[in-house]
Amino acid sequence: MGRTVFVTAILLMLAAMSLVTARYQSRQLFIENEQLVSQFNELDVDWRKLQLDRAELSRNARIDQIARDTLKMQPIAPARTIYVREAPAPTAGGG
Amino acid sequence: MRRFSFFDSPVVRVSFPTWRARLVLLVFGLAFLVLLGRAVYLQSVNREFLQEQGGKRFERTLPLSATRGKIVDRQGVVLAASIPARAVWAIPEDTKSATAQQWGKLSELLDMPEATIKAMLADDSKTFVYLRRQLSLALVEQVAALRMPGVHSLPETRRFYPEGEVAGTVVGFTNLDDLGQEGIELTFNDRLSGKPGSRRVIKDRLGQVIEDVRAVNLPVNGQDIELSIDTRIQYLVYRTLAEAVEFNQAQSASGVVVDVQTGEILALVNFPTFDPNDRSTLRGVNLRNRVLTDTFEPGSILKPFTMGLAMALGRINGNTKIDTGRGEVVFHGERIRDVTKNGVLDPMGIMVKSSNIGMARISQRLEAQEMWTQFTALGFGQPPVIGFPGAAAGRLRPWERWRPIEQATMAYGYGLSTSLLQVAKAYTAFARDGDMVNLTLIKRKDQPATIPVYDAAIAQTIRDMLEASAGPEGAKLAQVQGYRVAGKSGTARKIINREYSQTFYRSSFVGFGPVSNPRIVVAVSVDEPMAGHYYGGRVAAPVFATVVGRTLRMMGVEPDAPFNSEVVAQTQPESRSRP
Repeated sequence: MGRTVFVTAILLMLAAMSLVTARYQSRQLFIENEQLVSQFNELDVDWRKLQLDRAELSRNARIDQIARDTLKMQPIAPARTIYVREAPAPTAGGG
Repeated sequence: MRRFSFFDSPVVRVSFPTWRARLVLLVFGLAFLVLLGRAVYLQSVNREFLQEQGGKRFERTLPLSATRGKIVDRQGVVLAASIPARAVWAIPEDTKSATAQQWGKLSELLDMPEATIKAMLADDSKTFVYLRRQLSLALVEQVAALRMPGVHSLPETRRFYPEGEVAGTVVGFTNLDDLGQEGIELTFNDRLSGKPGSRRVIKDRLGQVIEDVRAVNLPVNGQDIELSIDTRIQYLVYRTLAEAVEFNQAQSASGVVVDVQTGEILALVNFPTFDPNDRSTLRGVNLRNRVLTDTFEPGSILKPFTMGLAMALGRINGNTKIDTGRGEVVFHGERIRDVTKNGVLDPMGIMVKSSNIGMARISQRLEAQEMWTQFTALGFGQPPVIGFPGAAAGRLRPWERWRPIEQATMAYGYGLSTSLLQVAKAYTAFARDGDMVNLTLIKRKDQPATIPVYDAAIAQTIRDMLEASAGPEGAKLAQVQGYRVAGKSGTARKIINREYSQTFYRSSFVGFGPVSNPRIVVAVSVDEPMAGHYYGGRVAAPVFATVVGRTLRMMGVEPDAPFNSEVVAQTQPESRSRP
């Protein structure tokens, strides 16, 4: 009788200890998870911002202005274009 | 002194009455019973209340906001996207203990005068006052670093529109609470919004999340919307219209470019317009999407439809001679004028000279009901279904109530009203061998629905007439280097005080190209040009030519008209001609 009680008490102690450890570990993992989630959110926000930055830099109005004013470029006209065909056409030139 | 062991102590040997021991036992027993009863009461009977109260003290529901979807163009260029921002708010009473230095810093960071902020916080009875919304996260971090009493911040999102006013008309904008107010943002608000989620958590004394109480209800982010718009073409049209408005000292201008094969709207532009990033430009007149909401008497651009009908019914053919007289006739008591004296013309001549008299004479060979049926089939008088707020139906009165003079004027585009988009849609019938295509602002993934309106042969004939109208005899400014184009100019007098004005006009041009295999329909309208010229062929046709030429080049369409090349490749002949 006394032995059974003793063994059960030891087992109970072990169970209690493991419960405490498990709770502790779960908290730790939860915190780690939270940190990773917030990191994910931050990266997501950064990505959106970069996407917008790219859109801002590649804005048509900006490129158009730089091409015209800074680089002194002109719109392409058919007269200044050579049309190349992939397959050789039977007639010369053509259109 | 004698020593006793414990049990031999004479004190212990004194005997007490048994009831005393029993009484003590009973009292202790009762006390335990009371405790037990209390425990049972708290654990079972009162449990729910207590758990609820406990939960209130350390459990919190955190809202998880869904991100609003992006709006992108057909190439994936971002036209609207949301990023997180924060709003700064304050509790007036708590801010009283702030130091002067903190106030100064705050006004500096929020870019608002200190007096303004203090005036906002003057009312102590308020418990929540927004100081400034939609601030960047970095800035709000600096505000938080001030540790100013009573000043807090809230997460929210801010919407950015990288293309600004170029695409503003189409994309629209949202309000501060991220709800669509105009354009695509309004029409597709439900799809863009997404569904917010939530999580129930336990927080500790410092406000940090310790654990989730139950499974997280994840937010569903809004869907992205892919528009049919091509930002490059949109910008091209925007720029061309802006130049045209300035050059002609016009009130406004609008333009639309439609893909003939798919019915997708590649560009839809108004000028002047608004910049969705700048709320000060969101004013009444600028917000109007004139392409869709403004209806006008189209004038001559409607002539090909009447002509097509008369030919389809066999009332005229290509050789029918019609006398347009000396450029002025009285018709049912009303005077109808042409710009020039043209004498006897065939249908091709009527179209190229844009003779109103010729059209009125053709309308005499048609029944009012036939014309009404044709116009209705072309979509006039009904709002176009393109999923955009405020698309106007225009006005087409029932044929029973047409007076004879109205039937004549309707043949050349007066007496009914349409929006520019309706005209562009109707013109796809000529560009597509007689079947009109349904338009859309959303990128198409399947085949578009079409409505047959004319026979292919009739469409071909009208196409030839329209090509001649945009040729050397007609609106020659519409001509495009390298591409054969077809189109019709229109000059409509505006109605001011119920009379046709002599000074206010609306000049338009609608057409398509390249004629050998039409790819795009372009409709342009310039409102109230005041720089001397007002004819559609003079004001709107050059805009049409620029837009068609550059758009076709951008789309990589090969030229179908002969032109002189300025550059010579060794393997290439110097001038190009059609085989």
